[in-house]
Amino acid sequence: MTERTIHVDYIARVEGEGALKVRLRGDTVEDVQLKIWEPPRFFEAFLRGRSYLEAPDITARICGICPVAYQMSSCHAMEHALGMQVRGELRTLRRLLYCGEWIESHALHIYLLHAPDFLGYPDAVRLAKDHPDAVKKGLALKKAGNNLMTVLGGREIHPINVRIGGFYRVPTVHELTALRPELESALELGEATVRFAAGLKFPDIEEDYEFVALRHEHEYAMNEGEVVSNRGVKIPMSQFEDVFEEVQVPYSHALQSRHKGEGSYLVGPLARYALNHDKLLPRARSIAREAGLDDVVRNPYKSIVVRGVEIVQAAEESLRIIDAYRPPDEPFVEPPASFHATTGAAISEAPRGMLYHRYRINQEGLIEEAKIVAPTSQNQKRIEDDLRHLVERSLSLDDTSLTDACERAIRNHDPCISCATHFLKLDLVRT
Amino acid sequence: MNGGPGRPGMPDIQWPLLIGVGTDHRGDDRCGLDVVRALRERLAGRARVAECTGDITDLLDLWAGVAEVIVVDAVRSGKPAGTVVRLELPGTELPLLGATSTHGLSLPEAIGLGRSLGQFPAHLVIYGIEAENLEMGDGLSVAVAHGVREAVVQVATEIEARDVARPRD
Repeated sequence: MTERTIHVDYIARVEGEGALKVRLRGDTVEDVQLKIWEPPRFFEAFLRGRSYLEAPDITARICGICPVAYQMSSCHAMEHALGMQVRGELRTLRRLLYCGEWIESHALHIYLLHAPDFLGYPDAVRLAKDHPDAVKKGLALKKAGNNLMTVLGGREIHPINVRIGGFYRVPTVHELTALRPELESALELGEATVRFAAGLKFPDIEEDYEFVALRHEHEYAMNEGEVVSNRGVKIPMSQFEDVFEEVQVPYSHALQSRHKGEGSYLVGPLARYALNHDKLLPRARSIAREAGLDDVVRNPYKSIVVRGVEIVQAAEESLRIIDAYRPPDEPFVEPPASFHATTGAAISEAPRGMLYHRYRINQEGLIEEAKIVAPTSQNQKRIEDDLRHLVERSLSLDDTSLTDACERAIRNHDPCISCATHFLKLDLVRT
Repeated sequence: MNGGPGRPGMPDIQWPLLIGVGTDHRGDDRCGLDVVRALRERLAGRARVAECTGDITDLLDLWAGVAEVIVVDAVRSGKPAGTVVRLELPGTELPLLGATSTHGLSLPEAIGLGRSLGQFPAHLVIYGIEAENLEMGDGLSVAVAHGVREAVVQVATEIEARDVARPRD
């Protein structure tokens, strides 16, 4: 019996670092271990004793790629704890801010991290030499998203304008309408992105995912809604921990999420699209149809197309919001002056999937406990399952080719290892 | 952009751009940020100062149209922690820098992208500070804190020397 071990010490083109170990005995995959280190654990401890008002600014520092997600989940969780309702234009402005992050993050992943896999390049630098126009499209989209975040968030990275109850300052009509030309361009670039992505060659495989995402009655869910799955889950956000659990695995610093009694599940664009495609705006729905996407996409490689559809959705929605915008009378809803010790939880849809926050605060407003479950932690077990199936299908490949294939399979899910991991190292053992 | 610092009528774009790259709360990864933060006031009127704390492709926007750029970042090249290295482009092969980034793409990748896309400064100087610890957590390691102080002196000296040599209106 031949034993093979594949090590990936550093997986390129993921946001951060981690490691992968695959152990094969003959034609049997004995073990797949995705090892990640988890900064949210550090922040959970760091938050204890801090004012509840500080949570959005502190948690935004967890990740330079998706700070808005951390701000949104922390704000909603605190507002849930305090019984606050943020409605009207303030709610809409939060959605607009999130659109900026979706555009920026998806554009980065599609053009600079994922496209090289499909076009046969080792990295974006070499892709850019032969396909400069494609990379320029990606950078232009990123810039449009960044500019939206700068206007609403105060700055593009680690926005500072978000607070419990709303914003420190809301934009003027002029500030938002000034973004319109760039967002109109982003909408067209987004459609071009879907056409570009749909024209790539995809391995002909499908995975039997349990998709989990937020779903809202009236909109493509971002900040609000119920947690639903294609296997019957339908719960309020506050019951997330009743249905999903985090499990410690010895080889990783990150906790792995599982659907209790079921197993792995997938969050992110494929899940959102599968569970919310009927809520897409007209141009996003139209381009998805033009690209030949079914209502449910189970081929993980096609996530690049779905991310493109979500760019169109975010740009289209941004334009609608800007056109209807009337500045609210107050930039934020005032939190209650006094309150009892309380707990609140919330989920928002980060570009990579659901981001769960729960906080327990005391009567002085100090955080006593924080729990953060990042999307990449939730997908970690599911990525291992994808890898196991990939390796089983690909036993004839030599170690180098198999390693490349594993890295590529990981990138399908755009793991934000800045949030969830440290160095990604691949270790493939064949015995 | 109008009105260079202290020089009404001079476009900002004429001024050297000093960019600190890094991430707060990732140990020594913040050393580039600490250098430019320490120099922001001292260099007022001589250079523009910017920070790149997230996606490194933002560098392409930051240095668009700027002729002279100085970037300060953490590096890992096998030298003792805190060692300050100065590299100049054109004139240096980038792989020497190593990919230390906790920012998604690395600085060498941003430079490669900029070159491929024709979005690259005519003159780029990189100050790299050899990192020791890139784990989550606040604060620099002792050796890297020393490197930051040394880099502050070196960068300030270089920019002030350039300012002295710069033709006056």
